[in-house]
Amino acid sequence: MLGHGTRDARRTERYLDGLMAADERRVADFPVDVEVDPAVRFAARELRASLTRVHPSFRFEEALATRLAAGAARQQSGLPLAEAVARARPGTVAPFRSSSLSGINATMGAVAAPPPPAAPAAAGRARSVSPGAAFRRLPEMAAHPSRPMIVGGVGVASAAISLGAVYVAWRHSHPASGRMGRAARAAHGRTAHSGRNRRSGVINGIIGVVS
Amino acid sequence: MLNRVEKGARPARLDRDRSLVEAARRDPSYFDALYRKYLAQVYSYAYYELRDQHAAEDAAERVFMQALAGLPRFEERVDAFIASRAAPVSAADAADFSTFRVWLFRIARNVVANERRRDRRRPAASLDDAAELSAPGDVVETAAAREAVSAAWQAVSRLPEDRRRAVVLRFVDEMSTAEIAAILGRSEGAVRVLLHRALRAVADDLRGQLS
Repeated sequence: MLGHGTRDARRTERYLDGLMAADERRVADFPVDVEVDPAVRFAARELRASLTRVHPSFRFEEALATRLAAGAARQQSGLPLAEAVARARPGTVAPFRSSSLSGINATMGAVAAPPPPAAPAAAGRARSVSPGAAFRRLPEMAAHPSRPMIVGGVGVASAAISLGAVYVAWRHSHPASGRMGRAARAAHGRTAHSGRNRRSGVINGIIGVVS
Repeated sequence: MLNRVEKGARPARLDRDRSLVEAARRDPSYFDALYRKYLAQVYSYAYYELRDQHAAEDAAERVFMQALAGLPRFEERVDAFIASRAAPVSAADAADFSTFRVWLFRIARNVVANERRRDRRRPAASLDDAAELSAPGDVVETAAAREAVSAAWQAVSRLPEDRRRAVVLRFVDEMSTAEIAAILGRSEGAVRVLLHRALRAVADDLRGQLS
């Protein structure tokens, strides 16, 4: 014979089944056992309305789908998935994928269009490495940089700026000969460009940049 | 093909994911269909348990990686459970019951439990944030509706761990008592009582908040 608690629990279960089924059918009312505790009914309705399912971001969904596809490719080719599972744990270091543009595209394009499952060899390259192993590989990584680098640093940057300034100075001393240029010169009361002005403009521009 | 149980030769209920599971076993790239089907459910479970978006994402990733790796070892066990339905279902029967969804959520339960153990000092996320997340796309975002959601969240978060899990699995993931029992390793009767008591506690809490 069922005790009171068990009987009430069974009634509650039936009520919850009815509530879920009514929601599924998008029906507001459904037959209710009057002996179901009103407090239970109240709480069930509140929780049903409030505890909604949460979906992760689309970016996360697609990124994980890509990693699972790579894992599936490993599995199909007989390689162990343990490393891919380990990569999902925090505290491991993932290497840069590739030095080629396609590698960058594969990394950046994961959200827009998940690439097809990687070939076994590629999947093998994309495995995670321990921090120690990554540290030991640093000289090798430096010898074969996987990212484009700016060589020259400050020197290259300042040369580019200087060239830009020279161009601006030259452009200033060479007013355009089109209709708009003539109109602008007329408005400012200036004559057409002369060789002297051009040269002095260039020289002044360079001096200005150098000084 | 229908599986038949030995006692009474009743047709057994099949795992509704059987065809997808078999396809994924033959070719792991088909795991994507299972992943897409259950991502929101697994993520929601992790999110409600961990109350942190990033922690829930990490947990979801580990769950699906482990599921992919362990899929060849997954055994569907439905027949024995169906055969025992006439009698009260014990915790041992429930533990023997396994569909793909139950198996996946057992992994999720373990992953989330490990996460909680590892990071017990994690501060609980703001319940206001949770309330906003739990009511996405509401056409009428009234303050009252938000308050109701927030109150429900607080009431659930104050429940003991086992009751809270049962409530989340029932209301968020819409699982049956049998599935919850199989995931939590409890008997169906115990899960019914857990849910009944949880609802009474939530009702008391909500009334206390309202008054």
